[in-house]
Amino acid sequence: MQRMFMRRTGLALLLMVAASALTFVLITAAPGNVAALIAERSVGAGADGAMIRRIEQELGLNDPLPVRYLRWLGDAATGDFGVSLRSGKPMAEEFATRIPVTATLLAGGGVLALVLSLAFGIAGAVSNGGVVDRLLHGLALLGASTPNFFVAALLVIAFSVGLGWLPSFGVSGIRSWLMPWMTIALFPGSVLARVVRVNLQEAMSRPFATTGFAKGLTRRAVLVREALPNILIPFMTTFGAQFTLMMIGAIVVERVFGLNGIGAFFIEAIRFRDFIGMQAVLLLFVVFFVTVNLIVDIAAMLADPRLRRPKRA
Amino acid sequence: MPKISRRALLSVATAAPFLAMLPRIVLADGHDVLRIGIAGETGDLDLLQNVSTLSSYTVVFDGLIHYGPGGTLQPGLATAWKVAEDGLSISFDLREGVTFSDGTPFDAAAAEWNLKRWLGVADFSWIGIADAYDSIVVDAPNKITVKLKRPVPAALLELTIVRPVRFLSPKAVDANGKQTAPIGTGPWKVESYSSTGTTLVRNDGYWGEKPAFSRMELKVVPDELARANGLRAGELDIIGGEWVAPLSPRRARALASDGVTVVAEPGTATTILGYSPKSPMMQDKAVRDAIFVGIDRAAVAAVLFEGYADPTVDIFPTTVPTAGKRHDVPKRDLAAAKAALTAGGWTAQGAGFSKDGKPLAIDFLVSDESFPGSRRIAEMLQAQLTEVGFKVNISSVDTAVMHQRRPNFEYDLTFFGNYGAPYDPHGSLGASFVTAVDTGPDGKIYVSDDLDKLVLAALETAGDAREAAMQLVYDWIYDNTAACPLVVTQRLWAVSSRVKGFALPATDYDLPFKGLTLA
Repeated sequence: MQRMFMRRTGLALLLMVAASALTFVLITAAPGNVAALIAERSVGAGADGAMIRRIEQELGLNDPLPVRYLRWLGDAATGDFGVSLRSGKPMAEEFATRIPVTATLLAGGGVLALVLSLAFGIAGAVSNGGVVDRLLHGLALLGASTPNFFVAALLVIAFSVGLGWLPSFGVSGIRSWLMPWMTIALFPGSVLARVVRVNLQEAMSRPFATTGFAKGLTRRAVLVREALPNILIPFMTTFGAQFTLMMIGAIVVERVFGLNGIGAFFIEAIRFRDFIGMQAVLLLFVVFFVTVNLIVDIAAMLADPRLRRPKRA
Repeated sequence: MPKISRRALLSVATAAPFLAMLPRIVLADGHDVLRIGIAGETGDLDLLQNVSTLSSYTVVFDGLIHYGPGGTLQPGLATAWKVAEDGLSISFDLREGVTFSDGTPFDAAAAEWNLKRWLGVADFSWIGIADAYDSIVVDAPNKITVKLKRPVPAALLELTIVRPVRFLSPKAVDANGKQTAPIGTGPWKVESYSSTGTTLVRNDGYWGEKPAFSRMELKVVPDELARANGLRAGELDIIGGEWVAPLSPRRARALASDGVTVVAEPGTATTILGYSPKSPMMQDKAVRDAIFVGIDRAAVAAVLFEGYADPTVDIFPTTVPTAGKRHDVPKRDLAAAKAALTAGGWTAQGAGFSKDGKPLAIDFLVSDESFPGSRRIAEMLQAQLTEVGFKVNISSVDTAVMHQRRPNFEYDLTFFGNYGAPYDPHGSLGASFVTAVDTGPDGKIYVSDDLDKLVLAALETAGDAREAAMQLVYDWIYDNTAACPLVVTQRLWAVSSRVKGFALPATDYDLPFKGLTLA
C-alpha cells in the first residue's frame, strides 16, 4: 500500500512538472510584445522603445526558452512566483488574499453539490420511475445543461434585484456566498445526482439486493444499507472530476459575483497579458487538479481493497 | 398550551432563513456613504507608478492647477500663476494654510520636493514641462518659480493631468523616496484599500468645499452586468465613466429602460480610423478618400453606440480647448466613394476595384481587448466598405499583438482613440502625429514630414497665435485625409435615485462627488 502511495505521488509530481512546462511554453509562445505591455504598465504614455528593450533585457525575455523555464520553475519552487504585471503585487501576496476566497467558493459549492446529489439521487431511486423520479430527472438535465453565467444572472435578478434578500456582489458574510455556491454547485450537483441515481438502479439489480429483498427488507432499507455503499467508488471518482471542474466554473462565477478570487484574477491576467500572473495561476491549477485526483485515487484505494491489489502481469 | 400544527411549524422553519436575510442594505447603511462601482482595484495610488486606477488620484491629491469644464484652468494648490513673456519660467503663488492630511504643511519646500520627483526625470519626458525643466527657485514660503530650458505652451494644461503632477506629503515616502502611503491635500483620505474595494473618509481639513457626506466606498466589481445589477439592487449608487467603471451604450440603454437615471454628455475623446502611413495602399489618397466618404458614421453612432455617440470628422471635439473649426459630417456617399477611386486610377472589376493588377484589398487590424466594441464596429465598416468595392480582411488580435503590430504600421486600417481631457489636444497631437516622438506600443495615427513640421510648430506656439497654428494642423489632416475620425463617444454614467444633484466631473479621470447629496 505504501509503495503504491509513493508511486502515485511520484507520478503526480512528474505530471505537475510536465503540465507546468507545457503551459509555460504555450504562454511564452503566444505572439505579441510582452515587454511593451510591461513598459506601458510602468509609465503609461511615456513608454518608448529604449524602455521596452531594457525590460526585455532585465526579464531575460531574450534568453532561450528552456533557460527561462528552469529559472521560473526554480523560483516557483521557493515560493517566488514573480510580480503580477496587472496588479504590481507579488504573486505570493495575490495567492494569500485570493486563495481563501476561491477555497470558500469551492468548498461551499462542493458540499452543496454533494448534499444535493445524494438527496436527489436517493429520492429518485426510492421513487423509482414515479413522479418524483421523473421530476428530478428533468431538473438534473436542466441543471446540467444551463450555463452558470445564466444561472447567476437569474439568481441575481430574483434574489438581489427583485427581492433584495441577497447582495449581488462582493463578500459580506454568509449571505453573500449563497448565490455563488448555488451557481457553482448546480452543474456538478446535477451530474452527480444522475450518477447516484443510475448507479443505485444498477446496484439494486445485483444479487446482494435480491438477497436483501428475500430477507424481507424494504426497498428503502436495501437502497440505503446495501446499494449505497456499493456506489461509493463511482461516486467518489465522479465527484473528484466534478470538483476539479468547479475551478473552471469559479472563473466565471467569481467575476459575475465580484469575488476577488483566483478565477477573477486569471481573467484579468489573460486580458492584460500578465504572463507572470497567468503562469503562476496555471501552475496552481495544475497542482490543484493533480492533488484532487491523487486524493481521490488514494481514497478509492482505501475504500476498495480490490484497487490495492497489485496488477497481474 | 396552544397547539402548533406541523404545517405551521414547517412554514416558520422554512421562512426563518429568509427572514434572516432581510435587506441589510436598507437597515445598515446610513445616508452618509456614497458607493461607487469601480472596475478594478484602486491600488496604492503611487504617484510615480502606472499601476493604480487613474480615477482615484484626484480625490486624494491636488495639483497646482485643476482642469475645469471645457479645459478652463482653475486654481488648485496654486491660487495664481504667471508665465514669463519669454515662456522660460512660470511662477506660482501657493495656497496658504493648506496641510496634507497627515498634518504636514504644504508650502514652497513641500512643493519643490514634489516637483523634483518628476521634473527632469527621464521616465516622465513625455510631459513637455518635465522634458524642458531647468530648475526651481523658491521665491518665498508661498511662492515658487519653475524655470524651463525652452517654452512649453501647454505647460499649464500639463499640470492638470492625473499623475505624476499631484502633491504628496513629503513624510509619506521611505528612505529611497518610494511612496509609502497616499497622503495628499485633497477632499478625501484613504482609510483602507484592498482587492475588493477602497474606503475613503472625508478630509475635514480640506481647503476647498467639503463633500456633503463623510464616507465614500469604491467597490470593485469587474463585471459590467454585475455593476448594473448592483445599481438596480441598490447596492451601488453610481457606475460609469471611461476610467472608473465603463458603461457600454447597450447597458446604458437597458438601464434607462428600467427607469434608472442615465447621464450622457458629449465626450472628450474621438474614435479615429487610422490609415497606415507605411502601407502602399493607404499612401494612395484616392483610397483614403473613398473610405472617408464610404462609411456611415451616423449608422455607427446610432446602432453600435445606441445613440450615445456623436459622428465627427474632426480630430478633437469642442469639449477640449483649441479643438479647431468644425467640418460638416458628410452623409455616406457610395457614388462619391467609387468616383474617388475611379479618379485615382482604380478600375471597377465586378464587385471590386483593381489598379496595376492589384485588387483593392485592405487589412483591418482590430483588438477588441484593447478597444472594447471595436470588433463590432469593424464588422459594420467592413460591410459598408465592401459595398464600395473594398475587400476588407479583419485581423482580430489581442492587446500584446496590437502593441507589436501598431507601432510597426503592420496594418492598412486600425482604430485609435485620442487621450481626451485633460491630456488633449497637445497630448494626442504630440504623441500620435509626430514621427520623432517615441510612443512605444501606442503607434501613430499618421505621420509625414510635412505634418511633423506643422505639429511641432503648433505645439511650440504660445499665446494668441496658438489657435491659428493648431488650425493649420487640423486643416492639413483634413485636406490630406490623413485620418478618418468616426465618432465622439459620449460620457456615460448611471446613478441611483438616492443620489441628488449629480453632475459629471470635469473629466472621466475624476470621481463624481462634488455637489452631491444622498437621500
